Amino acid sequence: MTFFEEQLRQGVFQICYCGKCNNVIWPPKEICHICHSRTDWKKSRNFGKILEFSKKESTYFGLIEIDEGIRVLGDISSISIPEIGQSVRMSVSFNSKPHYSFIVENN
Amino acid sequence: MNKVAIVGTGQTKFSKNEGNVEKLLFESSNNCIQSVNDCNLNNIDGVLVSTNNNSKYLGAILSESMGIQPKISHSIEHLCSSGTNAVISAYAYISSGLSDIVLVSGAESATNPGQVLEWDKSRGEFEHPIYWGSMLTKSHKRKFQTTEEELAIVSAKNHKQAMDNPFAYSNEPRTILEVMNSKQITDDLRILDCSRSCSGGASILLASEEKARTLSDQPIWITGIGQKTTSASFTKNILEDIKSTRLAADSAYKMSKIESKNIDVAEVHDAFSVCELMAISELGITSNDKSGEFVRELFNTENRMINPRGGLIGAGHPLGATGISQTIEITNQLQGKSDRRQISNAETGLVHNMSAAGTSSSIMVLEN
Repeated sequence: MTFFEEQLRQGVFQICYCGKCNNVIWPPKEICHICHSRTDWKKSRNFGKILEFSKKESTYFGLIEIDEGIRVLGDISSISIPEIGQSVRMSVSFNSKPHYSFIVENN
Repeated sequence: MNKVAIVGTGQTKFSKNEGNVEKLLFESSNNCIQSVNDCNLNNIDGVLVSTNNNSKYLGAILSESMGIQPKISHSIEHLCSSGTNAVISAYAYISSGLSDIVLVSGAESATNPGQVLEWDKSRGEFEHPIYWGSMLTKSHKRKFQTTEEELAIVSAKNHKQAMDNPFAYSNEPRTILEVMNSKQITDDLRILDCSRSCSGGASILLASEEKARTLSDQPIWITGIGQKTTSASFTKNILEDIKSTRLAADSAYKMSKIESKNIDVAEVHDAFSVCELMAISELGITSNDKSGEFVRELFNTENRMINPRGGLIGAGHPLGATGISQTIEITNQLQGKSDRRQISNAETGLVHNMSAAGTSSSIMVLEN
């Protein structure tokens, strides 16, 4: 299991970034592909915005861009129909694969 | 660069049954060789296999099965567009002079688990293609006011056209209403909007100009090629377009010195209904906001210009065979051998094959 996956299991989304050129590196890797320096980690602030969504059975899911610029697919909890551009808060876990969950803010 | 032609074609029936990949490769290769008059197997100096199957050394296995001892033999995997990438690799071997005659064979088993790109961690638990298919569909509806009926027409049209394709896995007609009332997969996808994995094999024989003249009375020339990969991750692309297709089409048109208006017939990669609308727009055949109307007109006038063999939705999607089967359809159309599917006076055709939500596209222009 990778460091990123271990951290997901502990509920932390670690952002991989280059300490030299400051680019976010996704998916995470040890070497920056832009300036070839070693990369480092910082915890995500866990906020993002909905870019698109749909629904399977009773579960909303969608494409979310988190504040650090990474886009992931995850489930969306909302008491009403989600909206494009709506702010969401992220929680994560890992069980054989990553699990990204989002809650619409001010729900 | 030497000119390269397609001189032989062969397929197996696509089916939902479990298929043995070695057997499917052999069957379609055998059909392909039989389609060529007086084909001396000793002259085939390349054998390329296209598949997502985990079986090893298939190029050599197929060569031995066929009684061929080629100079060049290996497998090619590029998810759903493995087939066209194998054909284009054969083109490169021949045009460079490394090879003269190459057999390209693609096959897939319906039970192959290789449809999911596990590497793409940005998909989280939503790994299956239905999730990116839903995102593209919802986005198209939102941006271009595409209706559910327009999406359903793509499927109804392709199912109808597949009825005249003897190799298609589905020969059932589906009305627009049947598509719209079919099982709901997500809020934005019905089961009949989706292409389905199946078993199947497809093979073609390619040759240099000199050899092609001796092997076929109707060689079909590959005059344009365009390929583009923008990423492997689905989430690194925007939802509104398929940039890889647009860029690959630009390259293919430039190489063949044609424009989109010159295309008489095209096989496009309708993994989901929305993909056909997006593809014909990126290829310059219509525009995104008019793509639904364009397909409705084709359906109403029984014009089979787009996906005459039924596309992936009607014919089935055996990943490694799909791009080759698309190429066979355009070849047969340009040879006037498509029976009830025939587009009259077809001279220029296009093959569009893509992978993983359009992160990679391969396009070929064929001319007779």
